Amino acid sequence: MGGRYLGRKLAQAFMTIVAIVVLNFLLFRLMPGSPERVLFRNPNLSPEVVAAARVRWGLDKPLIPDQLVAYVESTMTGDLGYSFKFRGQAVTDVIADRVGPTLLLVGLGEIVSIVVGLGLGSYAGWRRGGRVDRVGNGISLILYSMPYFVIGMPLIIIFAAGLHWFPTSGMQSVGGGAKPFLEAMVDLGSHLALPLTTVSLGLIGGYSILMRSSIIETRSEDYITTARAKGLTDGRVLRSHAFPNALLPMVTLIAINLGYVIAGAITAEVVFSWPGLGTLTVSALQSRDYPVLQGIFLLLAVSVVIANFAADLVYGFLDPRVRT
Amino acid sequence: MRPTVRARLIRLVGAGALAGSLVLPAAAPVAAADPVVLRVGTTQDFDASNPYQTALVSGYEAFQLTYNLLVDFGPNLEPVPGFADSWERAADRVTFHIRTGMKWSDGQPATSADACFSWQLAVDAIKADSNIGLGYLDPNLKDAGVTKVECPDDQTLIAYTTDQSDRIFQVYLPIIPKHIWGKFDYKTIADQKFDAPLVGTGPYTLAEWKTGQFMRFVRNPNYWGTQGFADEVVIQVFSSADTMVQALKSGDLDYAHDVNADQLKALQNEADIKTVVGSANGWTQLAFNTYGTGTGKTIKGGGPSTPALLDPAFRDALGYAVDHQALVDKVLGGFGDVGNTIVPPVLGQWHVQPDHLRTFDIELAKQKLDAAGYKLDASGNRLDKDGKPITLRMYMPDSSDTYPKSAQFIKDWYGQLGVKVQTKVLDSATLTDLLLPPEAGGSGNLAKYDIELWGWSGNPDPNALLQIFRCDEIGNTSDSNYCNPEYDKLYDQESKLSGDARKTILAQMQNLIYDQAPYDVLYYDANLDAYRTDRFAGWRNMPSNGTPMFTYSTLNYTVLTDAKAVASAPPSTEPAASGASAGPAGPSPSAAPAPSPTSSSGDNTALIVVVAIVVIVVLGGGFFLSRRRAGASAEDE
Repeated sequence: MGGRYLGRKLAQAFMTIVAIVVLNFLLFRLMPGSPERVLFRNPNLSPEVVAAARVRWGLDKPLIPDQLVAYVESTMTGDLGYSFKFRGQAVTDVIADRVGPTLLLVGLGEIVSIVVGLGLGSYAGWRRGGRVDRVGNGISLILYSMPYFVIGMPLIIIFAAGLHWFPTSGMQSVGGGAKPFLEAMVDLGSHLALPLTTVSLGLIGGYSILMRSSIIETRSEDYITTARAKGLTDGRVLRSHAFPNALLPMVTLIAINLGYVIAGAITAEVVFSWPGLGTLTVSALQSRDYPVLQGIFLLLAVSVVIANFAADLVYGFLDPRVRT
Repeated sequence: MRPTVRARLIRLVGAGALAGSLVLPAAAPVAAADPVVLRVGTTQDFDASNPYQTALVSGYEAFQLTYNLLVDFGPNLEPVPGFADSWERAADRVTFHIRTGMKWSDGQPATSADACFSWQLAVDAIKADSNIGLGYLDPNLKDAGVTKVECPDDQTLIAYTTDQSDRIFQVYLPIIPKHIWGKFDYKTIADQKFDAPLVGTGPYTLAEWKTGQFMRFVRNPNYWGTQGFADEVVIQVFSSADTMVQALKSGDLDYAHDVNADQLKALQNEADIKTVVGSANGWTQLAFNTYGTGTGKTIKGGGPSTPALLDPAFRDALGYAVDHQALVDKVLGGFGDVGNTIVPPVLGQWHVQPDHLRTFDIELAKQKLDAAGYKLDASGNRLDKDGKPITLRMYMPDSSDTYPKSAQFIKDWYGQLGVKVQTKVLDSATLTDLLLPPEAGGSGNLAKYDIELWGWSGNPDPNALLQIFRCDEIGNTSDSNYCNPEYDKLYDQESKLSGDARKTILAQMQNLIYDQAPYDVLYYDANLDAYRTDRFAGWRNMPSNGTPMFTYSTLNYTVLTDAKAVASAPPSTEPAASGASAGPAGPSPSAAPAPSPTSSSGDNTALIVVVAIVVIVVLGGGFFLSRRRAGASAEDE
């Protein structure tokens, strides 16, 4: 396998990214309204100022090829232009500020939900029809079908506004200057608690349901019967034989979800005013900040492509049949 | 194998514990020496700290806290000392006297050189027929008729003007420090980043800004005025107004700006929270496309769909078919004011009630249409004078749900007259392009609409809104394409006047537009804010029918006092909302009902109910599903 399989997948990923860059350019040129009108929002500007701005942004040149070539060139060099809304700030700076909080929130959320979801799902599937299965599967289905804000808002009402255990929103307490490291970490933790719980609860359902059905399928395999016949304990059959094999279909789900980590959990971030890419997407949409939206789309698309590429590699490693 | 699994488990448990440790509530008690922080919430993310680059109310709030205007706005929008502490008016000039001994927050002396630098930037831009940045600030100086500024000494700025108007005392142009920005001109200053911390002469200066999160301001130790009780001001950005309301209730916030009608109603019953309904300086209107009025021009393949729209009698009759009070009650939830003239009541001294007020009367509207020659056909359609059934195209932006809601009512009312209405909601950029007439230049500008349902918001001076109806604004801000040389003449006259002489002409202009009806001003919107009274006292509305914050002055940040200190004083010492004393006849802020002793337990009850519902739903749902599952698996096996 090796070389050819890897090369093919790499070429596919590269072509996808090129297509995304071009699509990204065209998509935003189809948006209604002329750019200078969106940009200035001030009908009283003198025509001279508007004309100068058009020259400055290259809007006086034809869309294809001049503007497209300039766009591809600058994208390749990591220059995504300047934000319409946050005037004077580079898109890369605006986006870079938001990647960390999203990775922290959604990344941790993924870890917690993978651990809990796989544990719950495999136990429920193994003891199918038992109490844990009945209650756990019910809760999983409910959580799976709940949007983040439906989970998040009651948490805010109960634990923040009601019991005052946690702050309502944001990522840090502001005011009073810099805090010592430990205090800042505790502060971050208390701000993270409710959004993390929301994201985790929202993700657990999906993992738990898929893991449960995967375990149920595995349970009827011959090697499980063999393991039982060898006299292994029930727990050991689950841990050593059923669980690892049932994990295979989970790889796909996890890989796909990891690609979307970067997109954040938009509604969860909005409910908690978490300063991540999700809230940035919403605010950029509201203020028609096209350069920032373009940047987010590019980042999102590239991270999904990379996650899929990684999943392909892991598959190739786990299952020799796909390497042909 | 077993150890491997266990090791893996241990690692997983470790990761879980790490996540868990982050989840622990911060139990650290507030230290005694912690600074007093005033926390203000808004759903509007801050866009730029460069005053020339902000288009948002939150951005104005930020630069007004940091910088002074040469002449600031007082509690009722009247001119009060700012960077200059006194001034004299002569026939062709105003001499401003800069405060003596004033210092920037970094300790440098603040003199007329700074004021001259800041005003000169705008004068240069005006002379070059250009703008600074987004072009919102420099026109203030143009409107004031300023042609030249000079600073003969450190304490004096002389501004030469073309007229005697008061607008020179309402110039929205921050005085920025020359020793920091002096090397830039009007073309380059807008490109500067104005990174925090900023140096200013205002009460609080911007110390830190994180996009999408907060702006933090610290007290300016060199501020010339009264130092506020708060050591720091934090303006926090919320992506959801619901969460902002919860933060206000929990005490995480002291002030919440721009809540909706339902949220305001819910907050009215909360202990220690006061709600404010402030008149906004703006309105929502129906703008009729009267293209050709006063000019006789037509647009090939565009313009209004019927000549009836050019007939003042037709537009007047339509005005009787609109129940403005019903719109306020049903679309705005009762928070707002019935619209009439083009000067909002919040600009108290300039607003007049129309002489010939139209009242809601469908029958009267029908009679007026009949009398004006607009007859019904056999199937009940109103015909224009060419004998064509009238169908009006009404377009509105997608930026607020109040537009389509209002449109539904209007469609129904006009329908009762036999006038059909087709409504369409459009992206605001698309809508703007669609409204433009050929005068805007470029191709494809055909003004193909009949009614635009949208709104405007103004400046402390009414001219910003009045100029929309000038003939030379067609192709620019005019969205009714209305032209009336008589109106333009009045505008030119009042622009040179002040006081009662100006007021008389403004009244004529308001009545002229009301009677001619190129616009039907549906309602004056309201700003709905709420604040806590248990930490800070001394809140007052500015102006008296406005809101305490996000207004034209940042004076309120400095008049706040310690609520705990005030609580022990007799109630009469607490500065009451100034509306109670000598406010104009405009809408007064709605006072929240006095907090009742039961309200806090009411809060708990609500909490318990919510908890109970969540528990019941989760457990009940779980059991219901598990039973079904159990039944299903029993059948399987």
